[in-house]
Amino acid sequence: MNTIAEHIADFLKEYSPFNHLSFEELSEIATNIRVVNLEKNKILFQVNDLLHDSFYVVASGTINLSVIADAEETLLNKCFAGDIFGLRPFFAKNNYMMTAKAREESIVYAIPISTFRPFVANNSEVLNFLLESFAVNTRNPKDKENLIGKLISDNVFYSDQQSEMQYFQSLVYNTTPLKTNVTAIIKDVAQLMTESLKNNIVVCDNNIPLGIITDTDMRSKIATGRYPVTVSVDKIMSSPVITVVENVSLAEAQLLMLKHNVTHLCVTQDGTDKSEVKGIISEHDLIVAQANNPGVLIKEIKRCQSPKELKQIRDRLTDLIQTSISKNIPLSHVFNIASEINLAIIKRSVELSILDLGSPPARFAWLSIGSQGRKEQLLLTDQDSILIFEDVAADKYRDVKDYFLKLGKKTTATLEKIGYELCPNGHMGSNMLWCKSLTDWTKQYDSWMNTPGENSNDLSSIFFDYEITFGEQKIEDAIGNVVFKNVKNNTLFFDFLGNDALRKNSPLTFFKKFNVEEEGPNKDKFDIKTRALMPLIDGARLFTLNFDIRGINNTFQRFKQLSIIDPKHAEIYLNCAEAFLTLSKFRTLEGLKNDNSGQFINLEELSKIDREKLKNALLPMRELEELIKSKFQLTQFS
Amino acid sequence: MLDWLKNINKEYPDFWKTYISKFEKKSSRFVVVSTETSGLNPDKDVILSIGSFAIIDNSIVIGDNFEAVLLQYKFFHDNGLSNEFLVESKMKKLGEPEAIKLFIEFIGNSVLVGHHVDFDVEMINAALERLDCGRLKNEALDIDVMHRKLHDINDKQFSLEELCVAYNIPVSDRNSAAEDAYKTALLFLKLKSRLGIK
Repeated sequence: MNTIAEHIADFLKEYSPFNHLSFEELSEIATNIRVVNLEKNKILFQVNDLLHDSFYVVASGTINLSVIADAEETLLNKCFAGDIFGLRPFFAKNNYMMTAKAREESIVYAIPISTFRPFVANNSEVLNFLLESFAVNTRNPKDKENLIGKLISDNVFYSDQQSEMQYFQSLVYNTTPLKTNVTAIIKDVAQLMTESLKNNIVVCDNNIPLGIITDTDMRSKIATGRYPVTVSVDKIMSSPVITVVENVSLAEAQLLMLKHNVTHLCVTQDGTDKSEVKGIISEHDLIVAQANNPGVLIKEIKRCQSPKELKQIRDRLTDLIQTSISKNIPLSHVFNIASEINLAIIKRSVELSILDLGSPPARFAWLSIGSQGRKEQLLLTDQDSILIFEDVAADKYRDVKDYFLKLGKKTTATLEKIGYELCPNGHMGSNMLWCKSLTDWTKQYDSWMNTPGENSNDLSSIFFDYEITFGEQKIEDAIGNVVFKNVKNNTLFFDFLGNDALRKNSPLTFFKKFNVEEEGPNKDKFDIKTRALMPLIDGARLFTLNFDIRGINNTFQRFKQLSIIDPKHAEIYLNCAEAFLTLSKFRTLEGLKNDNSGQFINLEELSKIDREKLKNALLPMRELEELIKSKFQLTQFS
Repeated sequence: MLDWLKNINKEYPDFWKTYISKFEKKSSRFVVVSTETSGLNPDKDVILSIGSFAIIDNSIVIGDNFEAVLLQYKFFHDNGLSNEFLVESKMKKLGEPEAIKLFIEFIGNSVLVGHHVDFDVEMINAALERLDCGRLKNEALDIDVMHRKLHDINDKQFSLEELCVAYNIPVSDRNSAAEDAYKTALLFLKLKSRLGIK
């Protein structure tokens, strides 16, 4: 009798592959477990260490798996409670090929291989699970969900070269291509292709490929009138076909297509055009194989039926952002892609809610506000939105509002499932306060802008960064008109916004040291969001409203635009634009590293050069503050 | 007085002699101990259950454990209490002499670890005395003392629950000697690495 062993068995049975075992078996395993405590940054095993006699299950905390290549540590995966790692001793005899290090203080269960092996041998499901996960040598984010229990492969792969690695994956292609023979009539073949929605057909003689007809051939040889539709296919087919062996890699296929300037490759048994046809690789297959292509993601979002599917895509977006940043793709470009995908996800979430609730009783607009409204959302931060519906007759108002509140609740719940946390201040379309008719919203903006400070409790500047996600464009335009009508000669409002922008504490101390958090859970960390990014964002918003610049919500682009409109201070604006990108990058990297919003930067983990870079990015802020002070008379609220 | 003289030629039970002989070598094994008792007075109260785990090489060896419920018929009878809750327990049930004997065999020359371990040791010593044995010879470490040493606190004691909260150990709703021993073991591992004890 061993109480703790039973508790551990209770814990294990929730996770794969242990869920395939009976409680008695688990208790037996648990009896042989060793419990290990790893302090933060403690290394459990590292590359080239001799194999341990056990594998590990995370009980609590986070373990990072990484490889060190060219003196650079590359994170492969993070293991959370219930995840298994260190399976190498099961299948291989050579030393460890990765490093397991505790990201935070963690407790792991060490399960001796000798204890577990009999269960593997007797239970094919467990064996398959372990084999599968060991055999996967690239992390295909698409499969993350499908790998039950998120088992982590123990082979080496480099995540920063992940997309390059994909090039050496073998392709998935059409293995049942359309076939025809040389005597077939073009018109019949075209009919066949149309019916089966294919853009190619292989012309064969006893399954030996003679040529191929694609849409291109139809266009250039038939539609131009060079041949009538009644001749046989051999007149127009492209011949010979370019053939490849099975298991061709993405890279190879791409090279061959470029080299021969073709759009299709024919797969044959031995790779020559003298053997049987096995399939057709089209350009489309190449695109699909690059799963993290933004276009493909958006296409898939449109097809998603459940929050779960959308969540998978959001996870892939995270990977996409991570690779993009490590490849030094300009951050402004990454912002664009990420915001388009985020937009598509939110749009789809609203659509799913509508599918569920039935069509809306009035026209409406779902506006994203805050970071998504500014198209600056790279990490999974909280969701902010408002809902505006058109004015309806008084007797219908209640029902209509009721419907839209329901719609708001459903959508925010879906988004929460995807991983966007609910806004702690309740700035969401599901909130009674922020789900109103157009007239009410007009009044709201009027009162905010003409009497700021009076009921400033619920005025947040994020309401002035909005972007339509779903619904009627006209409603957004109407709100825009209200805002810009009120802005004219409204010194009071600018006074309020200006003070709001300047109220944030300065990022550097008098001695040019970072102003770090003095207490709380983030002690000694630098709050990059409130101290560095917010002043820039607020400043940019203030000036764009002042210069009547409409339709540009992105902080980076706002500064760019300002430098054109207000050339006298162009240098300040451009410096701020650059600084904003640098700071965002720091925040994003920190967020990706820790799986959070990246608000707090751990300065100790930065290299000296990075720290200087960060410090330099904080300098343009001073100039911007001076500019705000000289431009607006900030007297009323200061 | 001169009690020790009386004891000098006293014949100890065999298990105790074996236990004493183990101390010729020094041990690298730690044993975490937690006892449930009927009260706080070592002279009058008795141990109701013992939970214990071994720690070897900085890891808790789940299989190397000792758990038992002690059927204190005499104590309950003398005090007119019902011991049904002990009888109904699913745990291994032993009489006190047998349980203490097995426990002594289990700990050997290991270093004992516990939360306010002095009390546990006192309780075990009292039980040993009833078996005509000497006192425990093991070194004993107290995690509360370790915690206070780490933070340089002298004027305050910490309960097991407080320590669990301070070191982020999930508090479970199940309460038993074994459960406490496991928590103590985790705390010990964390404190040990923080204090840099080898």
